[in-house]
This record gives sequence, C-alpha cells and structure tokens, in this order.
Amino acid sequence: MDVYEVFRRSGHKQPFEHCGTVTAPDSEMAMLMAKECYLRRKEGQYLWVTRRSEIHSWSDEALLEPAADKSYRFAHAYRDVVQKRELARRRAGQLG
Amino acid sequence: MTESLVAIVTALGDDELILGHRHAEWTGFAPHIEEDVAFSSIAQDEIGHAAAYYSIASSLTGLTRDALALGRSVDEYRHAVLCERPNSDWAYTITRQWLYDRADCLRLTALEESAHDDLRHLATKIRREERYHLIHADMWMERIAHGPIEGRTKLTQAATTVLSATAGLFEPFEREADAIGEGWLTVPSEELGRRFVGEAVDALDGLGLPAEVTPDGWRAEFVASSSGDLIATDRSGSGEASAPAGLGGRSGRHSPDFSALWADMTRTYRADPEATW
Amino acid sequence: MTYEQRLTDFRHYVGAGGKVEATDWMPDDYRAGVLKFIEMHANSEMMGAIPEREQIPHAPSLQRKMSLTAKVQDEVGHSQLLYRIAEDLGKSRETMYLDLVNGRSKFHNVFHYPTRHWGDVAVIGWLIDGAALVTQAALLESSYAPYTRVLKRICAEEQLHLRHGEDITLELASGTDNQRAMFQDALDRWWLPIVHFFGPRSNVDKDLLLRWKVKTRTNEDLRAEFLDRYVPKVLELGFSFPAPVPFESGGHWVVREDDIDWAPLDAIKRNQGPETARRLELRRSTYEQHAWVRQALAEPATQVA
Repeated sequence: MDVYEVFRRSGHKQPFEHCGTVTAPDSEMAMLMAKECYLRRKEGQYLWVTRRSEIHSWSDEALLEPAADKSYRFAHAYRDVVQKRELARRRAGQLG
Repeated sequence: MTESLVAIVTALGDDELILGHRHAEWTGFAPHIEEDVAFSSIAQDEIGHAAAYYSIASSLTGLTRDALALGRSVDEYRHAVLCERPNSDWAYTITRQWLYDRADCLRLTALEESAHDDLRHLATKIRREERYHLIHADMWMERIAHGPIEGRTKLTQAATTVLSATAGLFEPFEREADAIGEGWLTVPSEELGRRFVGEAVDALDGLGLPAEVTPDGWRAEFVASSSGDLIATDRSGSGEASAPAGLGGRSGRHSPDFSALWADMTRTYRADPEATW
Repeated sequence: MTYEQRLTDFRHYVGAGGKVEATDWMPDDYRAGVLKFIEMHANSEMMGAIPEREQIPHAPSLQRKMSLTAKVQDEVGHSQLLYRIAEDLGKSRETMYLDLVNGRSKFHNVFHYPTRHWGDVAVIGWLIDGAALVTQAALLESSYAPYTRVLKRICAEEQLHLRHGEDITLELASGTDNQRAMFQDALDRWWLPIVHFFGPRSNVDKDLLLRWKVKTRTNEDLRAEFLDRYVPKVLELGFSFPAPVPFESGGHWVVREDDIDWAPLDAIKRNQGPETARRLELRRSTYEQHAWVRQALAEPATQVA
C-alpha cells in the first residue's frame, strides 16, 4: 500500500488544491477512495491523486526565502502613489 | 580608518552589480522559458546584493547608493574583469556563475568573521542566497557536463577561459593590509584564492573535467578523461582563451567590454544627474 | 450523439455561461480559435519582453534596475503560463515558437516598435500595460476556463506593473524639464500604436470568438474604456496628445475614428512593423544557438562514474 496525495478543484475559477491523503494499493483504488473521502459532499468537481513518492520538495525550505530586498515585486512598494500624483500635478501646474 | 572598509564593500558591490547587469541581459533570452524566469531572479539577487554592499559604503561616505552604483567613472569601478565579460553563450554564463558563486561562498564565509558588524551580518544573509545560486549552477553544470558532446565541448572551453579569469576575483583589495589590520578582513585575498583553486579543480574533477593548473595556480588546461571523447578538438571560436587572465579590475583597470557596459549602464543617470528617477 | 447535436449542446452550454476545460469535448472551430487566441497572447508576452528588456541596462537607479528586470521576468513568466495552456489544446510549444520566429503567427502591434530611452519605459509600463489590463480583465469571464485561471494571476501581476509604470511616469512628470521631455517624446511616438492596440471596430456577426464567449467585449468598447480612464490622467500631468487627439464628448473621452491612421497597423499585420524583422531574427538566431542546450535538457542526465 502507498500513500496518495489528493487534490480537488471546487469550480472552474479555482486552481486544484491539496485536500488530504489516502492509503491505497494503486492509483485506481486511490481515486475511488479519494472520491468518497474528499468529494462526497460535492466539495469539488475534479479530482487528482498522485503517489506521495512522486512529490518532490525542497529539503531546505530556508532556501525559498529571498535574502535581498525584493519589495519591488509587491504593490506596497508603490503605496505612496497618491502623494506622487499630487506632486506631479503641482509640477504640471507650474508650467506656463 | 574606514577607507579600507569602503574599498572592500565598493569592490564587492561592484562585482555583484556588474555580474548582475550581465546576468540580467539573459532576461527574455535564456534557452528555456522556465529557466529564463529562474535566471532572472539570480540576476536580481546579485543586483540586490550590490545595493546592500553600497548601503554600507553609503553610510561611511555619505554618497547615495545610486551615486556609487552609477555615478562613478570607468576607472573608479573595482570589480574583477571576469564580471564585465560579455555573456558569450549559455555555457560561458553558467560556468562563470558556477565559479563565481563558489568563489563568493568562500569569500563570504571569511567575511562572516569580519570585525565589522554590518558586513558580517550581510555576509551571512548573502551566503544563504549564494548557496541557492550554487545549487542552480551545479545542476546546469552537471547536466551539460554529462550531456551530449557539443555541450561538453562548450563547457570545457568556457571552463578554461573562466577559471583563468577567476584570478581577478582574488587580487588584493585596495588597502587590504589596513583592512586585515582592522579586522574587517580576516583572510588575505591571496590565501582565499589558493583555497579556491583547490576547490574549483576538485569540483571540475567531479564533473569529469579534470583540469591541470600551472604552478602559479591560475592557467587552466583540461585533459582528456578516460572516456576519451570528453574534449572535442575544435578550439575555434574561443579567442578569449589566450587573452590575459583578467587582472587589474581591483585597481580600476578594465577591458573595453566594460567601457561599453558602463556607457550603457550609466546613460540615463548621467543624462540628468540632478534628477530623481 | 451526432456532431451536430454535440455542437448544439455546446452552443447552449457556452451561451448560458458554461465554462470549458481542456479535457471537455469542444467543436474544432472552438479549439482552433481559442488556441490561436492564446497563442497570440503568449507570443505577445514573449515578444513584449524585448522592448523593455532593451532598457534594463539603462535603468537610472538600482531599484529601477531590479524592478524593471522583475517586470520583464513577469512577462516571460506570463508567456510560460500561456504557452503551457495553449499546448494543452494540441500544439507543442516548440511548434508555436518556430511559427512565431518564422513569421507564421502574430503578436501584438505595440511590440513591433523600437524603444529609445527611459521615457519609453514609463509609457509602456503605464499606458500600454494599462491598455493590456483593460483587455485582459475583460477576458476573465472567458468561456475557456484554463485561460481565465491563468489570467487571474496575469491580471494581478499586470496591476503591479501598472503601479510600477505609473510610479516611473510620476517621477518623470514631477522631475526636471529633461525628464518631462522624455515622457512627452515617448508619448508622441506611442500614442497611435496604443490606439491601434485595441484593434479596428469588431465585426460582431463574424467574430467567432465573441460568439463562443472566448472574448466578451468588442474592440471599440475596450478602447472607449481605456480612453475614459487614462486620457484625463495624462492631461492633468500637463502632457499633450498627438493625433488622434482625444476630446471630450458627452461626458466621455473619445477619438474620432477618421483621425486614426490604420496604415501602420495594416503593415504590422503583415509582420512589417519597424522592429518586426530585427526582433524575430534575434529570437530565431538565439533559438538556433541554443539547440545544444535543448539537447542537453532533453536527455536524461547520465552519471559519470
């Protein structure tokens, strides 16, 4: 028997999300069991299973953290836009 | 007193900025779309490291980070010539990244013992990111070194050129003796360079690229492995191999490659030095 | 069930707002139409990386250097997302790439033009991304579900790009005369291509993508929304528009259709824009030079003892 990771999608607008695991002898059985364990109340319309051993992950999750400042990748880097707009308007107003 | 410290962080910042600038040239043109995204982050990391080094220099000199990064003349930059070389091809880029990040890891490990608090803390932070860069470079090196002959040939050519030029990364910094005296640096560059060559040769050997280095430690020659076909005989297109080993950067002597890069890099900044952007 | 019955069912399903997944049955026309549409979007992100990338080396500060690199990285990332879902409709990424570089497929008009300086980064980042966001947000309700899921992420990132572009613009607008002149010069060159960006008036009866609800709004509708939203913002910064000059009419900002010179767009549709050949050749030659890398990626890594 193997552990299978189960993913389901609740609607067309959503991505697949991990929802749990099942223990099963093969992928067909895993699908069947996952359907009853995780979809029996219509929690989703689509279901995926994959053997846990097929899932790869970073052994050192600290490496996923950037060390240098990456604030420019986020909207809050530009939160002073209102003041900047005001400054630019004033500058435009000074023109002849 | 602080002059030697400024010299070190400026040179380190310059290495990262100029290499980051080169790496960023791949954004949009890397050989695989997913890798394009991955390599662009590495470019951004290097530029971010430069910004962090310049911040230390800025606090010591009163100049802004941007004035340090973009407001100096060509001969005021202190990066190793290796960093300014054009990207050439993917093999050259990856080999340079691989050897640079190995050199950087050694250098950062030593800086983690620095008597200067900010520099010590920064070294710890950066080293973690460089470890990730090294994982990236290792994967590519292994894949190419163990892949088809054309890639292996290019890799060998690149390794020959790059390994020789890494000497420039271990030229002494300006006022290095002062920096050692103050405890800003704990290991002389020359000593780090010796350790680096040993490690690099071992790592190359691990990839099936046995290198023989000349007694001065830098001139690399690759010898055929037992598999025989490791090195194709075609050595054309690698004119750089016979170029000087890329010394002089730490005292501001750069190649024409850098003049062109500098003109590009500082173009907008110079157009209106009073402006904020 | 016959093909005709399936087609009728599909029409009703999509007509009632039903969403289509890659694994669902779909008419051949629908598959081909969606594929072509997403492929062009993917191509545009891929080619759209070039103009801004040209300006990365010229970024005037460290922060701008990193953020512009990150922005172009996002564009490449969008092309990755889009090529992947296009691939699931039955055409390989390699074939799409080869069709692009050999001029057999299309990409958006604005990416056929050169960039000259940092002012271009402001106009592209603010107004072209603004235009793109108007069109992409309209596609969030598209009938092809994998596309809408990818667009959700793309739009979120475009929103950030818009902030980034506006930030650069505002810095120029409130800066020195030289900086203001940079923006105005870029606007003078980019305005007509931006108006073209939305395309000529849609032919609602003939446009299959509208009928299948892959697209949900007409070109002129989207252009009108863009003009209303951005024209006043540009004007209040003290900049002026070249032809087609927008004017206020009935509470809306509009351009007269007769004032739009469509000739440059027609040339671009034949892949004869000012930068088309050079940029496609750049992509083509890079692709060729990287054949050995693809080979190295294709083979399973062998372990050397």
